[in-house]
Amino acid sequence: MTREGFIALVEREQEALRGFLLYLCCGNKDEADDIAQDALVKAYLSSAGYQEKGRFRSWLFKIAHNTFLNHKASCRTTESLDEARTLVSNTSADASFAHQDLYLALRTLPPKERSAITLFYLNGYNIKEIAAITETSEDAVKKQLSRGRDQLKEKLKP
Amino acid sequence: MNKDKELEELFLAQKPQFDDNEAFMASLNKRLEAVEYIKQHQEATIRRYKMALVVAFVVGIISGVITIIYMFSTPVGMPLFTFRVQTGWLSWLAANSRLLTATVLSLLVTFGLISIVSNIQDIRSMRVESEKI
Repeated sequence: MTREGFIALVEREQEALRGFLLYLCCGNKDEADDIAQDALVKAYLSSAGYQEKGRFRSWLFKIAHNTFLNHKASCRTTESLDEARTLVSNTSADASFAHQDLYLALRTLPPKERSAITLFYLNGYNIKEIAAITETSEDAVKKQLSRGRDQLKEKLKP
Repeated sequence: MNKDKELEELFLAQKPQFDDNEAFMASLNKRLEAVEYIKQHQEATIRRYKMALVVAFVVGIISGVITIIYMFSTPVGMPLFTFRVQTGWLSWLAANSRLLTATVLSLLVTFGLISIVSNIQDIRSMRVESEKI
């Protein structure tokens, strides 16, 4: 794939990708954009091996998901809920968000559950597609979704 | 698995919008340019290594063949080389010329093999590194 071709495809998909990562990073826009850039560079480097025609978005999401997990593994900093609250309220991207509680609730989920929930509810992927993106079994995705949903509902209770 | 309507609505109501798409793409373009530069540099280095490998291989083969032909073409009892001046150690060199030449030749072949193997390992590790990026 040429650089121009890659850029053209990315221009179409970057907003969805950044949105996905913004949710995974619980509203931390700078972190999400950094991961998005890293993921896109990785995607560009491996674009020669890209064969999933018509599934560019899923392919990008798969790379972004792995980059996010690697990023989380490399900086295992545990942030308290208070820190998270400060972080969320300070980011510019979510200034327009009326419900920052969703980010805070997402923050309490493990990264894999967060990915599954975001892909399911925000990006509209089905279980099979999520299993392919996150490279897990469909049963595991179902469990993650069920656990994540219960936990989110619990946290979002008024 | 059915979607939880409340959660779905909550997520969709908060779908992120970005107003800095152009800045993001410009930044990505810059990164890709840098990556392209590094990639080209690595490819050039790999090409140079490969060329050096081929040259070393060809030179080794040619010099090895010439030396072996020369060794076989001279009578067994005769030294491979002699010196006009006859001193003690030069006479010793001439007397053991066949053995010495064989030793030097084996050392060269060993050196050549080691350098070929190390070049191949270098090229492989560079490939792996560039794939990791």
